[in-house]
Amino acid sequence: MAAKAPDSGGSGEILPITPSLSETTSGVTAASQSTQPPSSSSDVDTVYVPSYSRWFSWTDIDDCEVRSLPEFFNSKSSSKNPKFYIYLRNSIIKQYRDDHPRKISFTDVRRTLVSDVVSIRRVFDFLEYWGLINHSSSSSAKPLKWDEKSAGDASSEPPTTVKETAKRICNGCKSICSVACFVCDKEHNSKAYTYEKFKRVELSEESKKVWSEKETLQLMEAVMHYGDDWKKVATHVTGRTEKDCVSQFVKLPFGEQFVKESDSEDSLEAFDKIKGSADLESGGSDKEGSSPNKRMRLTPLADASNPIMAQAAFLSALAGTKVAEAAARAAVTALSDVDYEAEKNATGDPHRQDANANSGGDITNSERAWADAKSLIQKEEQEVEGAIKEIVEVEMKKIRDRIVHFEKLDLEMERSRKQLEDMKNLLFTDQLNIFFHTRKARKSEDRVDC
Amino acid sequence: MKALGSSGWKGPVKFRMPTAENLVPIRLDIQSEGQRYKDAFTWNPSDPDNEVVVFAKRTVKDLKLPSAFITQIAQSIQSQLSDFRAFEGQDMYTGEKIIPIKLDLRVNHTLIKDQFLWDLNNFESDPEEFARTLCKDLGVEDPEVGPAVAFAIREQLYEIAIQSVASARESRLSKKGRRGSDHGSASKASGLSMDLVKLFSFKSSVVRKRKDLDVYEPVVDLLTSEEVDALEAREERHAR
Repeated sequence: MAAKAPDSGGSGEILPITPSLSETTSGVTAASQSTQPPSSSSDVDTVYVPSYSRWFSWTDIDDCEVRSLPEFFNSKSSSKNPKFYIYLRNSIIKQYRDDHPRKISFTDVRRTLVSDVVSIRRVFDFLEYWGLINHSSSSSAKPLKWDEKSAGDASSEPPTTVKETAKRICNGCKSICSVACFVCDKEHNSKAYTYEKFKRVELSEESKKVWSEKETLQLMEAVMHYGDDWKKVATHVTGRTEKDCVSQFVKLPFGEQFVKESDSEDSLEAFDKIKGSADLESGGSDKEGSSPNKRMRLTPLADASNPIMAQAAFLSALAGTKVAEAAARAAVTALSDVDYEAEKNATGDPHRQDANANSGGDITNSERAWADAKSLIQKEEQEVEGAIKEIVEVEMKKIRDRIVHFEKLDLEMERSRKQLEDMKNLLFTDQLNIFFHTRKARKSEDRVDC
Repeated sequence: MKALGSSGWKGPVKFRMPTAENLVPIRLDIQSEGQRYKDAFTWNPSDPDNEVVVFAKRTVKDLKLPSAFITQIAQSIQSQLSDFRAFEGQDMYTGEKIIPIKLDLRVNHTLIKDQFLWDLNNFESDPEEFARTLCKDLGVEDPEVGPAVAFAIREQLYEIAIQSVASARESRLSKKGRRGSDHGSASKASGLSMDLVKLFSFKSSVVRKRKDLDVYEPVVDLLTSEEVDALEAREERHAR
């Protein structure tokens, strides 16, 4: 099989490169969503598997397969069982790889597989979406699961833009884009036009000065991926030029640390957690050997040009609920830690870094102790903060409960007041009735008397 | 009638393919604009109907056929599916039927001839698995043979199922209302099935007679290109 696998027995080939960024139609590239190491080789024999499909293994079935193709796993029919699914999937992939890099068509496949054709088509589409077959370097946008379901939306295309150097003219309404535009860099395939494929690119003047959180995140990811290659960083961060990226990066208080690739990167851990716990191991021990691997294994966080929630939802669907939860928590702690580190004084930083580095030969014990003490203090502070937060929350809850109670009382009051009103009215009508009756009675008396 | 015979009678069953998966064999043979498209595959009738058009488009795109084929393919598939569905509401009697299934197909360079017995009553049977095993055991390298074998088996099962529906209807029309023994004789009269009673009675043995051995043995031939061309030419002549 013409595949280069760093691990044996297929835990999915790690793929890199697609130097053909220029092939994509418009500037902003989603190509960075598959991992890209700095070097470049165009070896025809290597089979490229996108990093979001690393879960693939010849003998196992991953959760996302179970979720996307439930028909094989719900034991409704005896022959549509997981073994059969594995047979279909492995034969399709083998067939594709035998003839790689030629693309394999559905008809080729279904003619050689003993099954009903619609099941084959579903497995084939699934594999194609995940880039396990027919993965070409230029089409490297992330597969979004809802594409199948939202195929109905495909008819309503948001405007695409053809990028011109200065101004942008909207393909949809033919006017100049002012505030923001949506850019799709996938090839013009009508099936693939869904709103998720479009990235929002800010065009307004303001955004040039203030870096939003999304952009900062993107910048951080990009730097970790590409290191010093600012061109690629700029392309990854939507809407910023190289100069902007460099200047912003330098301004970032923790910028230095990232460059040194210390393994006390909490954000690195956060990214790794998203990919699964296995990567955490590499974060610790082998620094030199693992750093290129680390880079390759990173997946950028949400492509923040799209609505964040959409991406977050996709990612959590992709990774399963538990992993997404863990990742979210890790990300939150990482962000707070990053802020923390930014406030440390300058002397603290190199010490802390040295303390964690493997080449600890130069460090004296006292410095290490000092660093430990400092970290202990920080932990205490955090605990105290946490405790205060809890207290505040409890108080808030109390107040809330009281408010609710008062509201109930208020309601009761209203009700009883209303009742009172009603009774008063009744009384009044009764009185009137009596009055009239007595009057009548007297009148009739008078008449009788007369 | 021996007790064995009458105990075998089953009530009428709703029509379906007598296999584990209720898949329909679909055959396509479309000629248009000077191009001919022949194909055969299995379809799951419980898939939604829009799949037909999707499949047709996919096939036309993959095989680079003119787009006029899309509607023709879709129509052909739809009509075969609706024929199948028309049968679905009706009853069929399966009885104790063990039928011989014959394979005589040529797929690319491989020629397969085989005959074997198939239990029509076994609704858990799986022609696909049979085809896969057959190809693996006979060392057939061409992967297109498997689906062709499965298709051939399904086609024959389909034919027989249709016939049993027809015979069920006839017997109801004749209003005889007798029991299973009649059905046994009716199906025997069709000459296809075998009488289990005779086959497994104490007089005969399960071992096949020597003269039948050759018939029931699978034969796989690999043809050269010239032979393939010759055969194709002969088929075309027969078709006309």
